Amino acid sequence: MAQINWRTINIDALDPDSSTNFDLSSLTPHIEAISTSEIQQVGGQIRQLLRGGNAEGALQAALENVPYGGDADGKAQHATVVSECLNSIRATEMSPLLSRLYSSQNGSELCDTLMKYLYKGMAQGAVSKPAAGGNSHGARNVSGAGGFTQAGGRNFGSSEAGGGMSVFLSWMEKLVEMVGPGSIVRVMSDRRTV
Amino acid sequence: MANPEVHHLFHHPIADHSFSADRQTLAVARDNNVELYQRSGKGFVLQDELRGHDKQVTGVDIAPTSGKIVTCSQDRNAYVWEPSSNGTWKPTLVLLRINRAATSVRWSPSETKFAVGSGARLIAICYFESENDWWVSKHLKKPIRSTITSIAWHPNSVLLAGGSTDGHARVWSSFVKGVDERPEASVWGERLPFNTVCGEYLNSTAGWVHGCAFSPSGDALAFCAHDSSITVVYPSTPEQPPKAVISISTQLLPFVDLLWSSESEIIAAGYDCEAYRFSVNPSSIYLTGSLEKAKAGRPSLADGREDSAFNMFKQMDLKGKGAKDDTVLKTVHQNTVNTVRVYEETGGEVARLSTSGVDGRVVVWTL
Repeated sequence: MAQINWRTINIDALDPDSSTNFDLSSLTPHIEAISTSEIQQVGGQIRQLLRGGNAEGALQAALENVPYGGDADGKAQHATVVSECLNSIRATEMSPLLSRLYSSQNGSELCDTLMKYLYKGMAQGAVSKPAAGGNSHGARNVSGAGGFTQAGGRNFGSSEAGGGMSVFLSWMEKLVEMVGPGSIVRVMSDRRTV
Repeated sequence: MANPEVHHLFHHPIADHSFSADRQTLAVARDNNVELYQRSGKGFVLQDELRGHDKQVTGVDIAPTSGKIVTCSQDRNAYVWEPSSNGTWKPTLVLLRINRAATSVRWSPSETKFAVGSGARLIAICYFESENDWWVSKHLKKPIRSTITSIAWHPNSVLLAGGSTDGHARVWSSFVKGVDERPEASVWGERLPFNTVCGEYLNSTAGWVHGCAFSPSGDALAFCAHDSSITVVYPSTPEQPPKAVISISTQLLPFVDLLWSSESEIIAAGYDCEAYRFSVNPSSIYLTGSLEKAKAGRPSLADGREDSAFNMFKQMDLKGKGAKDDTVLKTVHQNTVNTVRVYEETGGEVARLSTSGVDGRVVVWTL
């Protein structure tokens, strides 16, 4: 009789029908892989457009070239490029810009992508760490230092370039006015993450 | 548009509902039982209760011609209920051979088979075997990768569409030798043995598919997904890619169920608690409006009562808060609509449809 402890056999790995042997990549539509250098290239072009004063074009380019196939680093880089674009657009220009974006071809998909970046931006602010590779205010570490966490977090949020969270919130308000809750649901249910 | 006929049956969610052919009997799934209501005058009164399932009943369907009721439940069983001579209903257990809950059930248009979608990543096609006097099931397994949420039959009773939580809507052939006649060739294919996949469609976000439906002619398939979109597929021939796949991402909350009211119109309802109409053709699809009356759709107007300052202060005094009563939704349904079914049909066009929802109401709408 074999001396193996049969209780330690991972039966799920051996069962072809089980959920662990489920090929999750078959669930999503095909996404092409993008290398980090390509993402940096696109980011550079967008920054040039920004420096040239064409914030609207920069935002549109950033939203059209979403690196769904990139790795976490590349995605984070693109996210910072997008938040730079958002920060550089004035509050009064937001609504007309959004309506132009929405009525353009593929508009509703661009707005969904913008919504995804808004949520991603808000998620990073809430964690209260310096955003990856982004807003250059040094590596201020505010996590868990006794009773100072809350105060530190508040300071950090308001001293970012452009106000950080408040920028995202005001964009979110204008965007939801245009695209409604359908866009938010799409952000939650879309398997392609930014 | 005439007023909708509202039947507020009870204060529990209705998972599924079905009317009999003469529309005098209404079967409603409520928790572990199915309640049968008989029409009396303007409303429905409780007449009978079908008890047999141990867990929540997820699907009910009454066959129009034979009057048999099929129910499926989360206890992995399905029963076929036949009316007996003394007025009671006799259940027959159907061996589905699934090891997860059943999620939905529908009779085929020919009423010789029914399909049960389940969480066991398969669809059970059940037909009656007269030699052994019992219902037998055959499984459609490939290439389903997750729970089946909804099923819809093609008018030829052989093709079946299934929406699943793996983001795909698929069309299979469920041809059973001996029970089905060989179907005519259609845009979905010909010479189709059991478990042939005639088409597999997903939209770009791959969200869960909640509901699917064939058009009245069977030449197009529409499905609604959790990303608030409706996608319509017009196939050309089996080997070619489809003639058209059009999709609309709406600004509304997702739809849970949909049906075709004619070859060019779809009615869908879901988490917004109301039903919407979409006009659809092979080149475009767009939202045309809601089934609710226009006045309910304008949020700025007061709800019918006097809009005077006197009334406003009276309400503040009475209820201790502002003038608007915001506990009641402006739509007829007060909670998610789960099921949309045809109520009255004339020559391929639906004249009336019925909806039921989580709020315990069954509403019959006139188009």
